[in-house]
Amino acid sequence: MSSAVRVRDLHKRFGQQVAVAGIDLDLPAGRFIGLVGPNGAGKTTTLSMVTGLLRPDGGTVEVVGHDVWRDPVAVKARIGVLPEGLRLFERLSGRELLGYTGRLRGLPGAEADKRATQLLDVLDLAGAQHKLVVDYSTGMRKKIGLAAALLHNPEVLFLDEPFEGVDPVSAQTIRGVLERYTASGATVVFSSHVMELVESLCDWVAVLAAGRIRAHGPLEEVRGSAPSLQKAFLELVGARERDAGSDLDWLGGGSR
Amino acid sequence: MSAPTAVVVRLKLSLLRNGLRQSAGRRAAYVASAVVVLLFAALQLVGLIALRGHAHAASLVVLLVAVLGLGWAVMPLFFPSGDETLDPTRLVMLPLRPRPLVRALLAASLVGIGPLFTVLMLAGSVVAVAHGAVAYGVGVLGAVLGLLMCVTLARAVAAANIRLLTSRRGRDLAVLSGLVVAVGAQVVNFGAQRLGSSGLGQLDPAADVLRWVPPAAAIGAADSASAGSYGTAAAQLLLTAAASVALLVLWERSLTRLMTAPDGSTLQAAGEGTRGRRGSSGLTRLLPAGRTGTVMERSLRYVWRDPKTKAAWVTSLAIGLIVPVFNALQGTGSPYFACFAAGMLGIQMYNQFGQDTSAFWIVALSISSAQDAYAELRARALALLVITLPYATLVTVLTTGLLDDWPRLPEVLGLSFALLGAMLATGAWTSARFPYSIPQEGYKNVAPGQAGLAWIAIFGGMVAAALLCAPVIAAAIWLNVSAGGAAWSWVLLPAGAAYGATVTWLGLRLAAPRTAARLPEILAAVSKG
Repeated sequence: MSSAVRVRDLHKRFGQQVAVAGIDLDLPAGRFIGLVGPNGAGKTTTLSMVTGLLRPDGGTVEVVGHDVWRDPVAVKARIGVLPEGLRLFERLSGRELLGYTGRLRGLPGAEADKRATQLLDVLDLAGAQHKLVVDYSTGMRKKIGLAAALLHNPEVLFLDEPFEGVDPVSAQTIRGVLERYTASGATVVFSSHVMELVESLCDWVAVLAAGRIRAHGPLEEVRGSAPSLQKAFLELVGARERDAGSDLDWLGGGSR
Repeated sequence: MSAPTAVVVRLKLSLLRNGLRQSAGRRAAYVASAVVVLLFAALQLVGLIALRGHAHAASLVVLLVAVLGLGWAVMPLFFPSGDETLDPTRLVMLPLRPRPLVRALLAASLVGIGPLFTVLMLAGSVVAVAHGAVAYGVGVLGAVLGLLMCVTLARAVAAANIRLLTSRRGRDLAVLSGLVVAVGAQVVNFGAQRLGSSGLGQLDPAADVLRWVPPAAAIGAADSASAGSYGTAAAQLLLTAAASVALLVLWERSLTRLMTAPDGSTLQAAGEGTRGRRGSSGLTRLLPAGRTGTVMERSLRYVWRDPKTKAAWVTSLAIGLIVPVFNALQGTGSPYFACFAAGMLGIQMYNQFGQDTSAFWIVALSISSAQDAYAELRARALALLVITLPYATLVTVLTTGLLDDWPRLPEVLGLSFALLGAMLATGAWTSARFPYSIPQEGYKNVAPGQAGLAWIAIFGGMVAAALLCAPVIAAAIWLNVSAGGAAWSWVLLPAGAAYGATVTWLGLRLAAPRTAARLPEILAAVSKG
């Protein structure tokens, strides 16, 4: 099977803090891939380095066979990115943002506008298309970010926490678009710490904890004999299930 | 002290103490600012005491206290989140009744450097005007009332505006209102100059009105009591007390509303619906196709829509006009001052990517070669020129016209264009080499820890720009001093324009590969705000 993303010995530290401590990973093409891990596991750092937004201290990253740092022309044209914690050009309206991004990506103006209209429709943003993005809600921002990432029809889509803070209706819309997109053979890599979501969406997962890969492979393989991905995940990252009952015996019951 | 009052006052004291528990640099800044304020207050106290017996002491003091009151009124508009204990929206979830809450917040408001500064100033004012035991008694009462009134005023304004300040539009306005302060400072400066030339007597008419306006009325009372008009003094005290009570009631009302009605500003914005497309098609049609037009359009839209960018532009445009034209109007100017416009506007090319904030990632993902970076930088320079070129020309023509020095027009225009080109070139290069974050909230234009970087970028860049212009400046000087050179000074117009264009092109060419090679570093540098 060909790899959409090939990562070798990826390292990054911020001062004393080691964020990514040597990652080797091959993500198969054409799959819906979940990158899961607790907060601070290095998911965002890894995705930033894979997409060329953060320079690694060491290691190599290849996307569809092209080195991210040595061949940016080939890579940047083939990937779509929705980062977490970075702004958009929020003083543009939703439609203007898509028009801007599409043209910047080299699409002809008319084509960019046509695709923008369709994406705005599908993502339920047509009613808010002339509103400035700064006035959008969290769910609307994620949707317009997703639209901007899809506009140039990338081969691999990287989404950092695309469902964080998104209401169920918007989440379902995003989900529908992503499923349609992977069905056509494209690859989606997204990070999340919501296991139920990953379990229901992905067919391939990689578990990241403390800057290292703890497990990776098809969903069933990583889940193993555990009843759910959640249980398997807790075991993998080494979280002990604490008995909270004894310390908080006053909690509940109505009396003060 | 009742329970909530004690808790809130203690919270305020811990917050003040916690100012010392930050990183070394911030702690130093915190201590230094406190020391400076206290030193200033002490000096002011000494100055006010020295003023005792001066013929216009009362007028000056009344005016000072009025300005102090104004300061308290506008302060919360600029620092909405300056005092966390006093932000009632943080207390919404607590089961507190409005009356005890008002009492607690009022007590907490009296703790801090601001109130201390006010007490010192009011005390000094009383000493400056009070003569006799009765006057001192009135003065002490007046000072207490004045302090109470100032604090209540600030809280009432803050509470009344908190809705505005928690909405996006309100914050946008707050950023722009910094300009009002800048312009106000110019007016004060102008007033002070006139005062310097014609004496303190100028203040008397204004003070006659203000001595009836609280909180200045409280100090006016001490002055009236010194003069023996006890009835007037009582009336002035009463007025201050009534104003304080009215403000308290107003504050309590808006507090109650804030605590019971949820903030609906985002809901309103969401319900606003479509606003109709604005002039986008017209603008797009005029701009070139491809990356150039796309980037220019975005840059120009941001000049109008982004409050930070807008404030920077308005400042540059205003100062670039005011310095040469006002100097020309006063007859002290020189046509060469018109180059100021080009210089001020050229500054907008600096820290281009910092102006993008972390949204720069969108740009970074679309740049994969030095050619892309060149197109991006060139488009930004062109967007700037769309405004700058006609404006600098206009200012130059206006200045030379006012000075009636038309023969120098081509020469000054040439110098302006050369300077503009040098600013664009150095701006592009420093944008790539020394980017820094511009925080989107508040008035700071540099993120903490990056001030050094900003200084290097701006001042280093400006010195470099001046040096780059040296050949054109030298030519201008030579033509002016050499016999018969003036007849050839028109040559500087085409020469300066060509020189500026060449320098810009070279600067962009040099900056482009640096930008393309440093995309992740630039993104990291501009994402701190």
